[in-house]
Amino acid sequence: MDGFTLVLWAARLLFLALIYLFLARVIRALLRDLRAATREPVDRHGRLIVLESPGGEPMVGRSFGLDVITPLGRDVNNAIVIDDAFASADHAVLTYRGQSWYVEDLGSTNGSYVNGLRVDGVAPFGFGDELQIGEVRMRLERANR
Amino acid sequence: MTVVATDGRTLDGLTGVLRRIRPRPRWLEFRLLALVAFAVVAGSFSLALTVDGRFGLYDVGATVLFLVALAVAHLAQVLAGRRTDQILLPAVAMLGGISLLLMQRLPQDLVHQTILGVPLGLAEVQLVWLLSGLAIATTLGIVVRSDLWLRRYKYTWAAVGVGLLLLTFLFGTELNGQRLTLQIGPIAGQPSELLKVILVVFLAGYLSENRSLLVQQDSWIGPLRMPPLPYLAPMVAMWAIALGIVVVQRDLGAALLFFGVFLAMLYVATGRISLVIIGLILFVLGSALMAVLFQHVRTRVDIWIDPFADPLGAGYQVVQALHAFARGGLLGVGLGAGLPEIGGVIPIPEVHTDFPLAALGEELGMVGVIAILGLYLVVIERGMRIGAAAADDFRSLLAIGLSLVIGVQAFIIAAGNLKVLPLTGVTLPFISYGGSSILVNSLVVGLLLALSDKGVEPPPAPRVGSRWRRLRRSGVA
Repeated sequence: MDGFTLVLWAARLLFLALIYLFLARVIRALLRDLRAATREPVDRHGRLIVLESPGGEPMVGRSFGLDVITPLGRDVNNAIVIDDAFASADHAVLTYRGQSWYVEDLGSTNGSYVNGLRVDGVAPFGFGDELQIGEVRMRLERANR
Repeated sequence: MTVVATDGRTLDGLTGVLRRIRPRPRWLEFRLLALVAFAVVAGSFSLALTVDGRFGLYDVGATVLFLVALAVAHLAQVLAGRRTDQILLPAVAMLGGISLLLMQRLPQDLVHQTILGVPLGLAEVQLVWLLSGLAIATTLGIVVRSDLWLRRYKYTWAAVGVGLLLLTFLFGTELNGQRLTLQIGPIAGQPSELLKVILVVFLAGYLSENRSLLVQQDSWIGPLRMPPLPYLAPMVAMWAIALGIVVVQRDLGAALLFFGVFLAMLYVATGRISLVIIGLILFVLGSALMAVLFQHVRTRVDIWIDPFADPLGAGYQVVQALHAFARGGLLGVGLGAGLPEIGGVIPIPEVHTDFPLAALGEELGMVGVIAILGLYLVVIERGMRIGAAAADDFRSLLAIGLSLVIGVQAFIIAAGNLKVLPLTGVTLPFISYGGSSILVNSLVVGLLLALSDKGVEPPPAPRVGSRWRRLRRSGVA
């Protein structure tokens, strides 16, 4: 095998080796990214962002991490207290079942609305949907971004 | 497309542009792009050694131009200062680099095109497409901050897609019995490439808006519980129109791609395996029916089952591709050492569009082919991660659907080349020669980049609510 053939083979293998080096670096970055994502707290399944609140309680822009069962209402014992003249004491409850969120109206006087439609009993509540209780509007978002 | 200034004020002129620049370093992207540059230079070096027997780069101008374009794209993104994905662009650049090397090495007279009065060969035209694609992806990744233009007008986009296909069917130019190319003035393109993006946009919009309804199960088909049937109708109609037109156009690859992406997105949105099972049953029934009804479908299946039945006629390309893979073996014969032509005849006529993987399999071997498939997996992984981290269902489904378009298409044509599936005429994304293919796939990468930005404005409120509020404000309800 003469020198030229050796250089030729070296160049060919170098090209393949560099592609694999690139892949290895990419995979290392991907694994690091995935590990960082799993380290983030995942005990929260979603969060509720307050979009509009004439009464000031809760404050506009506030973000609530949601438990699997999250009751809402005017009563101070609720996880999310909604101090609004049109909200009932025990107004509604958010529940996480299987893979998605549901909102249940607890027989409130003025009703709960998802995307402007009144909730009758239990209704599915997707990410990006808006919940209105009294004059307070809130949006459901994924927890870890 | 709306461009929102970061500080909300409109600033004009150069000073305004400069004041808005807040650079943010992208070291991961820089390191990966540097590796891409080394690999392309090494490939070009190896090509020059094999073909000309000299030390140096095979085509200094083209290689330098490609690398400079990568550097410019990187610099533009650093200056834009957005927190977008840093792995996607290097992965695609590596595929583009491999494409450039392959096109330089194939017979240049496969393609003649005159761009701005300059006659160009295969590699030069491909370089023009690759650079334009890089520009599109980078620009979209920098400029697009809002997804409203996709989210709000999903039915309009669907109509545009169907309209494009109808135009192609009526006024398209026919090639190899397929009417795929539409020519408007000097610009020619394949609308079915664009249609796959439009299909994803429509499905993402429709599925995210009706996800909760689709998960409800209140109708039964045999033993399977199904969502309320009315909510499935528009989607199935969209699918049937796309599929029907594609079958009329005899573009089987696109039909397979649309169906695969449709089923995957339906599964991601609803998590119901019953829908996928029904879809697969429909697919098997449809394929069997098409194989019985249409001669061109039956021919493809016959070739797939036994290409050696007619090795010089119908099965010629597939047989040559299998031989190419066999010649390549584990490490390949080396870039430039394969057999693109025997006695002045190209053994695989459509090697630059339909069979680039066979050519690469011969020259880079199984090791090289696995690396290339790995690069496509990286693109899919990024799409899934961007989708999982997205703020709402629309962006999530859009990111997953867009990456699946690239991934499923690569799988279909790679499987076709390797005789795992019947051969269909779709392109290998970023590697095959072809303007429409490269530009549209770059558009997909650009959208993925834009979607991956974590600092972008939150998604808008759902439409039903805003319509309701508008009605109430105007005193109607």
